[in-house]
Amino acid sequence: MTWSDYLPAWPLQISPALWLALTLVVAVLLGEALVRHLRLPRIVGYIGIGAILGPGGLGFIPQLPVDEWRLVVDLALGILLFELGSKVNLRWLKANPWLAGTSLLEATTTFAVIFSVLVWLDVTSTAAAVVATIAIATSPAIIVRTVTESRAQGQVTDRLLLMTALNTIYAVIFHKLAVAVMHGQAGTSFVHTIFPPLYLLGGSALLAWLFGITFERIHHHLGQHEETFSFILFGMIAFATIMASTLRLSPILVLLAAGLITRYQRKHTRTFPPHFGSAGAVLVVMMFIANGLAADLRGLRDGFLLVLLLIVVRIIAKLLAVLPLATHSGIGWRQAISLGIALVPMSSVALLLTMDTAIDFPEFAFGLGMVLMSWIVILELAGPVLVQVALRRAGETPEKKT
Amino acid sequence: MSLMPFAPSRPLSIGVELELQLLGCNDYNLAPSAPEILRRVAKRTHPGEIKPEMTRSMIEINTSVQQEYAGLVTELRALRDVVSDAGRFLNVAVAGGGTHPFQHWSEQKISDAPRFHYLSELYGYLAKQFTIFGQHVHLGCPGPDEALHLMHMLSRYIPHFIALSASSPFVQGHDTGFASARLNSVFSFPLSGRAPFVLRWNDFEKFFAKMAGTGVIESMKDFYWDIRPKPEFGTIEVRVCDTPLTVEIAAAIACYIQAMSRYIMVEQRMAPEEDDYLVYTFNRFQACRFGLEGVFIDPRTHQQRSIREDIMEMLEHVSDHARELRAVEAMERIREILIVGNGTSWQRRAYASEHNLADVMQLQAELWMGN
Repeated sequence: MTWSDYLPAWPLQISPALWLALTLVVAVLLGEALVRHLRLPRIVGYIGIGAILGPGGLGFIPQLPVDEWRLVVDLALGILLFELGSKVNLRWLKANPWLAGTSLLEATTTFAVIFSVLVWLDVTSTAAAVVATIAIATSPAIIVRTVTESRAQGQVTDRLLLMTALNTIYAVIFHKLAVAVMHGQAGTSFVHTIFPPLYLLGGSALLAWLFGITFERIHHHLGQHEETFSFILFGMIAFATIMASTLRLSPILVLLAAGLITRYQRKHTRTFPPHFGSAGAVLVVMMFIANGLAADLRGLRDGFLLVLLLIVVRIIAKLLAVLPLATHSGIGWRQAISLGIALVPMSSVALLLTMDTAIDFPEFAFGLGMVLMSWIVILELAGPVLVQVALRRAGETPEKKT
Repeated sequence: MSLMPFAPSRPLSIGVELELQLLGCNDYNLAPSAPEILRRVAKRTHPGEIKPEMTRSMIEINTSVQQEYAGLVTELRALRDVVSDAGRFLNVAVAGGGTHPFQHWSEQKISDAPRFHYLSELYGYLAKQFTIFGQHVHLGCPGPDEALHLMHMLSRYIPHFIALSASSPFVQGHDTGFASARLNSVFSFPLSGRAPFVLRWNDFEKFFAKMAGTGVIESMKDFYWDIRPKPEFGTIEVRVCDTPLTVEIAAAIACYIQAMSRYIMVEQRMAPEEDDYLVYTFNRFQACRFGLEGVFIDPRTHQQRSIREDIMEMLEHVSDHARELRAVEAMERIREILIVGNGTSWQRRAYASEHNLADVMQLQAELWMGN
């Protein structure tokens, strides 16, 4: 027997997972410090520590293998999207049509403004359209996480959740259509231009619907034991997410629609622990760290002013677009301003859409893709703070920290 | 500040105030939506008044002065519909019931008005604990002495009103075992309880002046009594009822009090005695704790019976008066409560079948809003 039989080989072979585990500890500690001392949302710490330690920053942690990273993000995002969907009451749109009006106006304005700015800067109209569709999205991850963490409730919170869900749907659908047009211009045949978005939307809707009925059946038979049900739900969300990827559907659309459908069909109130239990919560934290690790600010080197311009223009668009119908829809100016500000964050959904485009169009990846990546990183870090401030200003968070 | 003179009012006219719960449609917890609801209802014409209350997840509806059951119930339904429509527009559910079954008092937000901020300063967490929902019934009195007479005579029947309206068994996530746990929150206020045994208005004015002189109170509003005179309206105000689960029951209970008052003033014609109050807190506790099954001790005969039986007998006494007041339908509803039970029994049945307080609250909101 020699030393090498039972002692580790030197230098140690350290897997990235070990670093990630350590980062989890550090990130959570940092998040806690931010809350205690600066009263900032914890997610800023999670994303921030990932960005600082990751390949884009000090480089302590190597780039994660794409597949594993993607799985964590998909699962955590699936949980957050389902959570979002299950908090949104679609019947409200019928009772208050001004909400649908506000949402459509806000999404259209955002699209139109970003599109115009890019076209004015000599970007091709299809590429401008792709970026503009991504800009519609409000980050469901940041919204759900911040609302959960701040325990906000009230009109602005309710509307924020509703409009975030709708924006995610618009962004995914119109992004697919814009990409289809891009393919058409790249010389893909008509059938292969038209079929992908149809398959994606139809297939995602079908999968979401199947999820909805199964969920209702299981809930009916299983009854009220909250924890058991959380486990099953967790499994179902993972299954649906992976199934959607396997079938090359949109996991984003499937999980969000599944949440909306179960909320629409439900006969009983349901309360779940945040993120469906601690396993879900850990995944969510990992996702934010992973997002930080993937942070890529190289786009700022060449396009700093462009990124800044796009960020400012998008904030103004979202803010102004929620104002005109505010009083008709039953909220005051102050609340409308809070709502507009809270709609600003961008994160995982925008990131995934950008990466999907980049895979198909390498020239996009090195041009506007880089701009988008930097744009997303900035709004990922600033977003949670904006949402928290907006909800606090709207008077919808508990008055004192307990 | 001295006491206002007792304004004239039409004898036996009635007015009802109901405090309502505003709930989020996802978890059916209390939601701080009163400002938006008030802004919304301000755009619609409606009878009576709709007002803010202590915390922002409460709202109060007030009827105008009514003479009989039909008018009262019509107006309450109109008010209910205006508030419910505003609720649907804002994704807010509205419900009756004396307590919210699982709200956390520390999460409640004080309404933005000087009086509410003052009370919140003064009472501290009691103000937030005061997120409870009651029904107040005003009764017109021919004059101030008659008002005091009626107030003391009605005190004997306080357990009736508590047991009939009781709809607050659940507090902070648990069944308290009480039929009306709401009143336990009222008792923690220093000036709760009953009015002093004073039968003439000028003696009452002296009492008020002495109390005001000590600096303990500034106005009648500072007394949280079970029944108190309201001189500016020329009424006495019965304040022990929980907000029932429907407006129809609220109207019926108001008319039961009205019919009983007519019986007291026209037929019974007995003088109140200070010793009537010997059994007061015992009877009241029995009503809060056990509802219609509670024990009722007659202060004069010392006879014991259930509150249900005492109400049954009272219904016999007041039936002619109820006919005069065109409140026969209201008395039928009271009789129905004696058979099927009060709000508390409805809530306990709902919990037994749903196993979930949020579901109970959802059903309660559906019952109130009528959808």
